[in-house]
Amino acid sequence: MSERITRAQIPLSEMTITPGSACQGCGAALAARLAFKALGPNVIRHGIPCCPDSVTKTPRTGTVFEGGGALLTGTSRGLKAIGRDDVKAVAFYGDGGTYDIGFQGLSAAAERNEDVLVLTKDNEAYMNTGNQRSSATPKYSMTSTTPVGPKSRGKPRHKKNVPFIFAAHYVPYVATASVGFPEDLIAKVTYAKDLKGFRMIIIQAPCPVGWRYDPAKTIEVARSGVQTGLWPLYEIEDGQNFKLNYKPKELKPVSEYLSPQRRFRHMTEDETAEIQEDTTTKWDTLTRADELGRLII
Amino acid sequence: MVGNKAAATACKLARVQVASAFPITPQTTITQYLSEMYARGEWDFDFVNVEGELTSQVVVQGASRVGARTFTCTSGPGLLYMHHPMQVTGSGRLPVIMAVVHRGYKGMQPDHSDLMSQQWTGWGHQYVEHAQEILDSLLMAYKVAEDPRVRIPIAVGYDGYVLSYTAEPVEIPDQAVVDEWLPPNKPMPSILPDEVDPSTFGRGWGGGDPQMPWKTHHDAIMGMEDVQKEIMDSFEKTFGRRYGNGMIEEYRMDEADVAIIAMGTIAGTCKAAVDKMQADGKKVGLIKLRSYIPFPNKDFQEWAKKVDGFAVVDRSICPGKGGPVYMKLRDALYDQEEKTATLQFHAGLGGKEVRVHDFKMVGDKILKAAKGEKVEKITWV
Amino acid sequence: MHGRGGQGAVTASRIIATAAYEEGTYSQAIPMYGTERRGAPLTAFVRLDDVRVRERELVHTPDISIVLDPLIAKQQAVVDNLKPGGLVILNTAHKPEEVELGGDFKVATIDATTIALETLGRPITNTAILGAFAKITGLLKLESIEKAILKYFPGRLGEMNIAAVRRSYEEASDPIQAVVTKAPAEKVDIHVGGYGVLKDVSSWRLLTPEIDVDTCIGCKNCWIFCPETAIEWDEDTMKPSIRYNACKGCGLCANECPVDAIEMVRVEA
Ligand SMILES: Cc1ncc(C[n+]2csc(CCOP(=O)(O)OP(=O)(O)O)c2C)c(N)n1
Ligand code: SF4
Ligand code: SF4
Ligand code: SF4
Ligand SMILES: [Mg+2]
Repeated sequence: MSERITRAQIPLSEMTITPGSACQGCGAALAARLAFKALGPNVIRHGIPCCPDSVTKTPRTGTVFEGGGALLTGTSRGLKAIGRDDVKAVAFYGDGGTYDIGFQGLSAAAERNEDVLVLTKDNEAYMNTGNQRSSATPKYSMTSTTPVGPKSRGKPRHKKNVPFIFAAHYVPYVATASVGFPEDLIAKVTYAKDLKGFRMIIIQAPCPVGWRYDPAKTIEVARSGVQTGLWPLYEIEDGQNFKLNYKPKELKPVSEYLSPQRRFRHMTEDETAEIQEDTTTKWDTLTRADELGRLII
Repeated sequence: MVGNKAAATACKLARVQVASAFPITPQTTITQYLSEMYARGEWDFDFVNVEGELTSQVVVQGASRVGARTFTCTSGPGLLYMHHPMQVTGSGRLPVIMAVVHRGYKGMQPDHSDLMSQQWTGWGHQYVEHAQEILDSLLMAYKVAEDPRVRIPIAVGYDGYVLSYTAEPVEIPDQAVVDEWLPPNKPMPSILPDEVDPSTFGRGWGGGDPQMPWKTHHDAIMGMEDVQKEIMDSFEKTFGRRYGNGMIEEYRMDEADVAIIAMGTIAGTCKAAVDKMQADGKKVGLIKLRSYIPFPNKDFQEWAKKVDGFAVVDRSICPGKGGPVYMKLRDALYDQEEKTATLQFHAGLGGKEVRVHDFKMVGDKILKAAKGEKVEKITWV
Repeated sequence: MHGRGGQGAVTASRIIATAAYEEGTYSQAIPMYGTERRGAPLTAFVRLDDVRVRERELVHTPDISIVLDPLIAKQQAVVDNLKPGGLVILNTAHKPEEVELGGDFKVATIDATTIALETLGRPITNTAILGAFAKITGLLKLESIEKAILKYFPGRLGEMNIAAVRRSYEEASDPIQAVVTKAPAEKVDIHVGGYGVLKDVSSWRLLTPEIDVDTCIGCKNCWIFCPETAIEWDEDTMKPSIRYNACKGCGLCANECPVDAIEMVRVEA
């Protein structure tokens, strides 16, 4: 498990080359900045179609949208073949490339326990193509393909629990992180960097455009996602050992997270109550697993 | 040795560093041979057992980009599934080598429709006849693809069953000789963090004439013709075997008035037919087409000056358009002064057997057409 | 028509085309789609004609250039390809006489940002410039624009946008001949959208952060949260400073400052 760090321990040197092409206040651009800061120079960054393609002071390689897991595999095996496995194969993919079109290939790479690090910036929709739903989109969220109307309340189903699915591949390390908690994020990337085998960190990356809030509020939104229990921060090792990294005495009500985002503005009180109940139940399970230090998958 | 074993053996001789494949009949046994070779530690390589063809294509793409020598293989539907990343391998100018063990779409038996459907992916395409040619062509493919003048992936196609699973004698070259003839691959350009050119960071998006990448890619493939011929010569010098000039292989064309054009295993059957026809005094020869991409325009233009007829036996068809070799040949001949007769034959589709007597019929027809007699232009054999 | 992602240049071009269609004129609105992000400069084109518009290429030498963004309005590039004697309509608080663009063209100005902020509550300037367009060019009637707006924004949003158009119609100044004859020396590429690393994104900003270092308590929030690495940290003084060419003006730093040491200000000059 990662070790806590303080803000003073965060490296000053930057690995992203900016200004980049992301929108104002983009959570994904911040996720790239923080993660690559922690990784340092000896990595090859892997990309697939998504937004924004933050540029780093490292080489980049890329492939088709559906090929993320395979490309990492190829690089990692290739590096080993040429005797350069000191170089790390690191992905910076979107939720679409992780949860959906690239899911099969990443699952297979996890099953083979490839020596790769997958960083997913989860902005909970296909933002590059204009905010269409993905299986990372939370229930009731309005996107351009789950609009609200007499026959639709936004996305009908819950977000897919991808970190747990990958943990169930019994890989060395799976974690969640958030741009609202940079010390935690950097600690996790730093820790995962030097592990061997398949490692995945899913980073909550609020998107002002798709989530429909003022760009200045990206951190506020990220933080309240964690504080309400909707985006728990945790680590899972070998599919079994579990640790919650952020445990407030009391969770904030989910409405604090939902109401500033206009993607949820159509939600009724009943619907909010449903999300509240669901969140509380899941949080309960997580805290119990944390006490045990174990998950049963 | 069966055809698929010849392919796996070529991997070993070429000291492939990373191979990846997903089983599909009639390619399957290659994945098994490679797995066995890996398990026995026959040489220092990595075999990545993946969950599908798309992944196998992208795995070798990734490994090739950091500089490893790579191999993959597939058949019919598996090749179609690779279509999207094949474009990236092509555009990335990565010297990946792939064996395509032909399997049609309408059934499991071989025709050339699988590889033909990948014409636009920016690879070199070769079609070979027998197990020895598989082994030799794969070795040559590495040398061509990795040549700094080329850097283009190459697919080597051969028919399923009648070749992939058919046993025949194969001469295996000495490893030390191969090692000397085929030195290790060098990545171009390197993307290792300590070797990469930092000025390329963030470059590659837009800017410039968007047609240029297409032009340079096209030019590079057109340039493969000379390199292929040159490497055929060097192969013969080293190993004592040759297949025409690398682009085409003529068979008993010295005395021929007309030529049959065929690819793959049926070219072998055609050779037997040519022997019989010439014994009967019929002046029919064979031009075996080895390199479909790039297409040997110049060779055919030269032959058009010497023969009176070409009979093209296409083992694939683009429905609604016709046989691809026939179309490409007519395109190559259009500006010729002499109008050589051409006939189109559709044969071997869906794995239909093409027999010696079929080729005799083809020979008779093209002889007639060459004399100016009226025969139907298109024949379904 | 020049604007930035989120200002509605593409919609504005479509509203003009739709309004023209209402009046029986043939029209065409082409957006130049790259990968425009919110805030990134982008261009949209409109053709109006008495006969069906057949060519499907971008407009390379426009008669009229409309600029939705006050910072882009300072770039010579917005008038560089104008036909001689053409017209530029700029969103700026300045008078036409104060505009520093050179060449043979007429200049009109309208403070569309203020209109948008006051009528819509947001700096989406696309409709707030259309009233000025109608009045100054006389090419379209105000009613047709209003009709077209209701097609794109039904209901209350439409009414708000119509209010913006009407105010802009009233406040539009008459165009004058450009007064500066020499173009400013400094040229900035106004098409800086797209992927990769950009040089200067100053033109993306509506509001600009200013740090009051005396109030600053050195918590590093602004530094760690800036997505663009636009805030540099000085370990000796324990104070931040802003690299303005990288700042997109998102306001995140100001929002995260615990002591309000960062203020987002409207800088136009
Ligand atoms: C095979 C394929 N299908 C569709 C697309 C179009 N496409 C590009 S990016 C994208 C969405 C990306 O979503 P995500 O992975 O969540 O990343 P984000 O843009 O949200 O950062 C889509 C659908 C594509 N490039 N390739
Ligand atoms: S659409 Fe969202 S995720 Fe994409 S660049 Fe803009 S803010 Fe970032
Ligand atoms: S306004 Fe946004 S881009 Fe500018 S310095 Fe602050 S956080 Fe960075
Ligand atoms: S956030 Fe405010 S107090 Fe903290 S370092 Fe920045 S300016 Fe200073
Ligand atoms: Mg996404």
